Amino acid sequence: MAPAMITAVILVTWFVPPPEGLTIQAWRLFALFAGAIVFVVANALPILTASVIAVAAAVLSGLLSPAKAYAGFANGTILLIVLAFLVARSVVKCGLGARIGHLLVSRFGRSTLGLSYSIFLVDGLIAPAFPSNTARSGVIFPLAFSLADAAGAKPGDDSRRRLGSFLMFSGIVSLSLSSALWLTAMAANPMGAEIAKRFGVEIGFGSWLLAASVPTIAGIVLMPLVLYRIISPELTSTPEAPAAARLALARLGPLRRDEIVVLVAFAGMVSLWASAASLGLDSTAVAFLGLGGLLASGVLTLEDIRHEGDVLATFIWFAVLFTLSSQLNELGFMGFLGQRLAEAMGGLSPVVAGFALLAAYVLLHYVFVSQTAHLLALFGVFLDVGVKLGVPAAPLAFQLLFATNYFAAITPQGSSANLLFAGSGFLSQRDLYRLGAVSTACTMLIYLVVGTPWLRFVLR
Amino acid sequence: MIRAAIGVLAVLSAPALLGAGGAPQAGTAAAGWRTFAGTWSARGPRQTLPTGAGHSAAIVHLSGAVVLATKDLGGGMLGEAIAFDDGQNLSVGRAVWTDARGDHIFSELKGEPVATGRRVVGTITGGSGQYAGVTGDYSLTWQYVAQDLDDVVQGRAVDLRGRLRKGTP
Repeated sequence: MAPAMITAVILVTWFVPPPEGLTIQAWRLFALFAGAIVFVVANALPILTASVIAVAAAVLSGLLSPAKAYAGFANGTILLIVLAFLVARSVVKCGLGARIGHLLVSRFGRSTLGLSYSIFLVDGLIAPAFPSNTARSGVIFPLAFSLADAAGAKPGDDSRRRLGSFLMFSGIVSLSLSSALWLTAMAANPMGAEIAKRFGVEIGFGSWLLAASVPTIAGIVLMPLVLYRIISPELTSTPEAPAAARLALARLGPLRRDEIVVLVAFAGMVSLWASAASLGLDSTAVAFLGLGGLLASGVLTLEDIRHEGDVLATFIWFAVLFTLSSQLNELGFMGFLGQRLAEAMGGLSPVVAGFALLAAYVLLHYVFVSQTAHLLALFGVFLDVGVKLGVPAAPLAFQLLFATNYFAAITPQGSSANLLFAGSGFLSQRDLYRLGAVSTACTMLIYLVVGTPWLRFVLR
Repeated sequence: MIRAAIGVLAVLSAPALLGAGGAPQAGTAAAGWRTFAGTWSARGPRQTLPTGAGHSAAIVHLSGAVVLATKDLGGGMLGEAIAFDDGQNLSVGRAVWTDARGDHIFSELKGEPVATGRRVVGTITGGSGQYAGVTGDYSLTWQYVAQDLDDVVQGRAVDLRGRLRKGTP
């Protein structure tokens, strides 16, 4: 779609009277937000450009006050992403990343697919200890990046770009599935369980794991294959890679001083992130502490920070989109759209209504920039409407809660946990939206086909 | 796929569908009363102050969609409220509802703390534009209220029912 046509549609939407029940502010902010996303998806503008133009228009037209428009820049989760970027840089710089990469390649590296499975495996195992999937992305990203590096994929080098893309998007999908597997693997999951209780659905750690186990394990088995088919990495079978990796490891010799410092800093951060909820610690402060330690030790220098221009770009566009989406919510757009959409399904049979509600719930994540905000705005609404239409509460609640995790991959801004991978240099904006749409559709299909009979069995 | 998804969203967000409630239309009540019923999904910051014995007083500033199942007041409004919650048994506040034309309905709130399962009563004290001089009352119950990591609460009120008319009650 040509930029002129997109601009014309935004302008027409801007001047069309809002639907009855919405204020002019909510309607016009939606025009700006949706317009920015369409510009990016159509490859007409980079995401940074589209975002900053949208926020400038929102403030200069008086739709948003400056204080509200810039609130995302002080958001702790968004700061955590910036810090995780910088900490991840230290893993690569000191050589620890290459060592970990060679170690994993020596075990799983007979094929590119095996490298992807190693990401899913590590993530799935550490996930229950990480209530913040954003913090977990700070652990999984250096691992995935190091694997790509060890396999010869470098950002900016086209010869193995698809291999790098495959491993980066494996990280994004892995985080979305590992979050769905465990009640404690994503901050919004316990909130959803609490809301479900209002509809008579009791969800605890064990019942969540039981309900999620079969469809999620099916997803973990199938999704690397799906991504492998879609992305077609340049390198597929590498039977000689494990031996080469073992040789490279031997050449690296014992851990060097900087690697030990990074290893200790990382171990400390992981331990504190894992116990953040029980100790009442702020995950962002933990990342600040880790970065401070790395800077003080000299492993990271101010010169390194100066070269991280991509971090600033990511910080700006994500903070802007986060704010615009939050304000759309506070101006009533999300609640109104969700309620009206759900009500429009009145008259459908319970089975069809259940599927339609789930599909609509997933598609609506295109206008959200936070999984928690989406859940809190719409989960109760969709569950309420579904129950009134005769859909059994427990299976619908579980399907919507699982969706709250796997729809994170649908857009790069769909979860703050995606940002490290999105900014890796391997994935273009077009790749991110295309792969996001396809992988989310496939994951939803897996949860419907495998999860529906499984939920019927375990919820008897 | 992406175009299809955007197309679906665009269609869903079209004014025609947004305006189509599909909900039953309540009749206009006797003596000039106009009745309304619906839900309110609201989000906003909550500032708290621990006041001892495990309690916290709070100021909550909520904003979100009042979606009406009845048509007497249109499909819905933007509902904003600012309230003081003593954390034990009382909340008081003021609310402003704004329709698509920018006309307001003002009300006073009084009830239980802003928490899951609690009830709040509103007294409509006036308005602007087409709602100038209205009076009335309403009540709602919080189906859920949850706090996210950044001291922002989000809740959904159900059983929002009320009535209003021109002139003194």
